[in-house]
Amino acid sequence: MKDGVLGAMSGGVDSSVTLLKIIEMGYEAVGVTMKLWEYKDFGGNNLQENNCCAVSSINKAKLVCERMGVPHYTIDFTESFKENVVDNFVDEYIAGRTPNPCVRCNSFIKWDTFIDQAEILGAKYIATGHYARIENDNENYFIKEGVDSKKDQSYVLWGIPKETLPKTILPLGDLTKEQVRQIARDNNLETADEPESMEICFIADNNYKRFIKEYAPDKVLDIKGGKTLNEDGEQLGENDGYINYTIGQRKGIGLSNPNPLYVKKINPNNNTIVVGEKESLFKSICKVKHLNWLIDKPKFPHKTLCQIRYNGNKSEGIITKEGDEFIIKFKEPQLAITPGQSIVFYSNDVLSGGGIIKLCD
Amino acid sequence: METPELYFDIAATTPIDKEVASLVNTVNIENYGNPSSIHSIGQKSHNIIERSRLSISNILNCKTSEIIFTSGGSESNNIVLKGILSKGDHLITSTYEHPSILSLAKKIETEGIEITFIKPDENGVIEPDKIQSAIKENTKLISIMYVNNELGTINPIQDIGNLAHKYNILFHSDAVQFIGKDKLNISDIKIDFLSMAAHKFYGPKGIGILYCKAGVIFKPLINGGGQESGLRAGTENTSSIAGMCKALEIANDNYKDIKDRILKLEKHFIGLLEHSNIDHRINGLNRLTGIMNITFFGVQGNSLLMNLDMQGIAISYGSACSSGSSSAPQALIETGMSENEARCSVRISIGKMIEEDDINRLFISIENIINRIQKK
Repeated sequence: MKDGVLGAMSGGVDSSVTLLKIIEMGYEAVGVTMKLWEYKDFGGNNLQENNCCAVSSINKAKLVCERMGVPHYTIDFTESFKENVVDNFVDEYIAGRTPNPCVRCNSFIKWDTFIDQAEILGAKYIATGHYARIENDNENYFIKEGVDSKKDQSYVLWGIPKETLPKTILPLGDLTKEQVRQIARDNNLETADEPESMEICFIADNNYKRFIKEYAPDKVLDIKGGKTLNEDGEQLGENDGYINYTIGQRKGIGLSNPNPLYVKKINPNNNTIVVGEKESLFKSICKVKHLNWLIDKPKFPHKTLCQIRYNGNKSEGIITKEGDEFIIKFKEPQLAITPGQSIVFYSNDVLSGGGIIKLCD
Repeated sequence: METPELYFDIAATTPIDKEVASLVNTVNIENYGNPSSIHSIGQKSHNIIERSRLSISNILNCKTSEIIFTSGGSESNNIVLKGILSKGDHLITSTYEHPSILSLAKKIETEGIEITFIKPDENGVIEPDKIQSAIKENTKLISIMYVNNELGTINPIQDIGNLAHKYNILFHSDAVQFIGKDKLNISDIKIDFLSMAAHKFYGPKGIGILYCKAGVIFKPLINGGGQESGLRAGTENTSSIAGMCKALEIANDNYKDIKDRILKLEKHFIGLLEHSNIDHRINGLNRLTGIMNITFFGVQGNSLLMNLDMQGIAISYGSACSSGSSSAPQALIETGMSENEARCSVRISIGKMIEEDDINRLFISIENIINRIQKK
């Protein structure tokens, strides 16, 4: 009997080709859409195209599965997603940090629950459409970047449990996005020309400020406008409330200055933001919390390549352990190191792990 | 799938009878005339509809003028609530109605209609006493389903009808799960409205009936060309009406045989469960033959459904939404069942096409799946 694979189907082109690939590899496939969010509850209606939990996307996933002759099921994970991802997303902004919900969803929901589902349905593996590769050296499994450097998604996978790697198949890691689209077209997949998905899947209009106000009105009730300060603590102007800003933001600060000003620091305690010129946003050090390793846990100090934002560049750094804290010292100063975002570690193209950026002094 | 499909979800919908399907097809091809047209081609269609109405009214024991053809259960339910209730009126209904009553009731509640929602008892039945104590000066309508779709439990419609009559309140029952599965003589119950749907009794989809007692007046939902005595406009679905009539005739001729056969199959299945080590409970009392809601302790209903489906066997879990995901069956929670138990409960409904071998295959599959999941 063939081994079973549960394919995560968002209703987009990537997951459709993933399913096609696992069938080609000779597995017995089952398509499953994880329903994570109900759009009509907070902004955007359920019929909106191009959101992976929207009805139209789920319908497309079903059509693709039918074309390939495999069953499709939608499984409801909305409660868990709300608790683990959306509530955290809002709390992080309120704490003055900039969260990365995709990382959290992969780390806390997708992998574990999906593998559980696979076991319940008698399948041995799971497969997703992430642009990254899983390779192994005997028993030792590791993640590598996808070959399409523009699409590489290894950054959002740093938090998944290492022990799930032997059960995970990522069929798109060797392909470029263009190849994936071509495969979909060649196979007449209903999703071949689906547009790229948006940045934050549960915010239909991508306006996180509106979303937070609607989702947690009582939490943001007291966050009124505050002061915008310079690095010496002098007031330069007013702001709309600190949750509306992210570190490194230039547009929408509402100040005129001969040189552009950027948000340098967010202070939720006194509802102020500190702005400065670009040069002042470069830092050579930051702390990291919630570390997860996808290689054997390294010895510290550990020299590694670091990436501090999705689609960002990698730069050399050294991780040291001081007491309970992990500190990263960068070889080159980094622009706008943002608390709440992920810092992800690589050794060449192998994803070695990652963590959440804490404060930077 | 290598093995033939097995369908244990006739409470969701039934496969159309071959004889009915063939009639629908013939009428579609041969009787294309508009029933409102004056020429003979139109009149033929008109007469097919009126002959069907006559036959249906004979089976249900009501007047032909009391039969209104609609698109099905949801429309019939909508006609009653929207056509009867005005601002300031009071409606008594239950917390485990079909969504076409429940979600509509919640909507009109925001528009100034007062509503009392009665919970079923722990056996899944609505107690007339609870209805009686909810009656108020402005109570205009009582709407209680005949058979609950999730549990298969039959409500004391006769008693509730008597109560409504005594207080001069209109009474509606959503009878889609009952009509065509068991005999109903409308003159035996004091009722003003009944909703029915052909696809629950081996008839075509998209066609149904609203029984409306002579003399009861309501505002039509769809206005237009005056069809159905001006109560439901739109060119009639001649072929489906003929098909529905045929399906009801077949049901009416075979009630006893089919019921006996299904009861035997049901007992056989329950016997297999009882003699196994599967920890389970059949939910609800006074059930309609063929609809079983079963809690399999420690096994998520959704997981059981998907695993059975992968073996070509269809059962039901919870209320499916348009996206295909499902939530714990709310009707069960309304009876006081814990959310955890509700999540472990599935509905297995047996149709007339099922044989004893099919029951055996269903049981073996369930046993294997549960053993595997519980080993994990």
